[in-house]
Amino acid sequence: MPFDPNDIMKDRITDIGPPKYDNFFPPYIKENYGKWKYHEILEPGVLVHVAETGAEVYTVRTGAPRLMSVDYIREVCEIADKHCGGYVRWTTRNNIEFMVDDKSKLQPLIDDLRSRGNWFPMGGTGASVTNIVHTQGWVHCHTPAIDASGIVKSVMDELFDYFGSHKLPAQVRISLACCLNMCGAVHCSDIAILGVHRKPPFVEHDRVQNVCEIPLVIAACPTAAIKPKKVGDRKSVEINQNRCMFCGNCYTMCPALPIADGDGDGIALWVGGKVSNSRTAPKFSKLAVPYIPNEPPRWPTVVQTIKKIVEVYASDARRYERIGEWIERIGWERFFEKTGLEFRHEHIDDYRLAMTTWRTTTQFKF
Amino acid sequence: MPQVEYKGKVFDVDEDGFIDSFDKWCPEWVDYVKESEGIQELTEEHWKVIHVLQDYYKKHGIAPMVRILTKVTGFKLKYIYELFPSGPGKGACKMAGLPKPTGCV
Ligand code: HEM
Ligand code: HEM
Ligand code: SF4
Ligand code: SF4
Repeated sequence: MPFDPNDIMKDRITDIGPPKYDNFFPPYIKENYGKWKYHEILEPGVLVHVAETGAEVYTVRTGAPRLMSVDYIREVCEIADKHCGGYVRWTTRNNIEFMVDDKSKLQPLIDDLRSRGNWFPMGGTGASVTNIVHTQGWVHCHTPAIDASGIVKSVMDELFDYFGSHKLPAQVRISLACCLNMCGAVHCSDIAILGVHRKPPFVEHDRVQNVCEIPLVIAACPTAAIKPKKVGDRKSVEINQNRCMFCGNCYTMCPALPIADGDGDGIALWVGGKVSNSRTAPKFSKLAVPYIPNEPPRWPTVVQTIKKIVEVYASDARRYERIGEWIERIGWERFFEKTGLEFRHEHIDDYRLAMTTWRTTTQFKF
Repeated sequence: MPQVEYKGKVFDVDEDGFIDSFDKWCPEWVDYVKESEGIQELTEEHWKVIHVLQDYYKKHGIAPMVRILTKVTGFKLKYIYELFPSGPGKGACKMAGLPKPTGCV
């Protein structure tokens, strides 16, 4: 039935959830579900999984910009129709995977993908730099300190060679979040790009009382920098600038405390996080560079700094070592020395449990 | 800010139809909003939810958590959705004249 604005509950369908995942399984995945024996990476971007039944499934992984038009999705569908019986899937890092059930279908698929310029670059498997998990940026969010899509494009252009190759010691996961809400995976990635502010919020005293729930604003502050204050006959808040570290959480709760600032805002880089349990436990990423200015549209300083970290890691780490494992083996002082990154007072933790991060041993390298 | 006129009253509203200030609330506002919130007839139970929200807001300066709203009114969340199809935030708080909910909603 067409939607009737005068009776919005009429014919309303609700709580049906997503379609069941196996509705969209290719037949050969359905048949061999739970029976996979082994897999191989044939070349960058190409996997084969072999089942106990002898069935083979070839997967071609291609990079994608995540933010995409319907036209682009139609092109993906066209490729899937042409080569894969209409089936296609997206990965947890927003790459696209085309699957075929016969080796003879693999080369025509690859040739077709390659013929489309760089719209469907193959890669992202094995010890590569795969897609960058990222956020909304200036495209849609109201709390960002930086853009997402623009920086991601600039970084992937520079590291493109690592996407379609396996020449790193282990996979390098790069993530970006445009504010320290950290939507996504920045807190657990090998390299993380994070938007930060450097100035306290501006208090629009005449709006606070009307658009904000003041106790929520006060409770939003991790450093207790906010207290209630009467301005004229209006209720408002006061921010102790010496206690504010510009997280922007109070603006998330209160639209009358804008914090974005063209000159103040920029990027912090973090390194050494991982989520897998292989060899060592999962790690949080740690601060590597406290601040790099926003430099749209290509963010050259950020791009070059990341490239430098990747190159030093690639030449120094042992096989299978993730960035965090490499740094913990050589020590943070060596990491700063080898990468040439400056160690500054901002690197030293000063939040609540900070003491656990200071060095309580005489073991260090000059 | 767009203005709406209803039964001789003028309201300033934001782009989501929330009233600009709690102080400007009046019963006519509820009557005006009910249609866009999918409510045909205002019952005593609607008014009970609205009054609980307003009393709590006046006393504490925030909207109550959903758990508190259901406990104080005695209405389960499912029933609050039957009264206010867009839910306690977008529906009931808007009609009660409270500020628009914030955060990662
Ligand atoms: C609560 C559960 C889960 C969470 C929070 C989660 C989260 C994540 C995250 C953050 C990544 C990116 C890892 C990285 O940066 O290296 C990832 C990757 C991945 N996850 Fe999960 N995951 C969950 C469950 C699962 C399950 C149940 C499966 C499979 C049955 C799965 C399969 C994968 C795969 C295959 C990748 C790698 C994809 C690629 O590199 O393209 N995950 N997951
Ligand atoms: C017995 C069954 C399977 C086992 C033991 C298995 C094991 C593994 C292992 C150990 C990896 C890590 C490889 C590496 O990091 O070098 C991996 C990667 C992966 N597997 Fe499987 N796998 C199985 C079945 C499947 C199936 C059925 C699929 C999907 C059709 C799948 C999809 C993937 C993907 C997407 C990756 C990530 C590849 C990469 O990023 O390099 N696996 N698998
Ligand atoms: S990381 Fe922050 S700015 Fe970026 S999408 Fe998430 S909440 Fe918005
Ligand atoms: S920006 Fe963060 S630290 Fe500063 S006042 Fe707001 S909540 Fe507190």
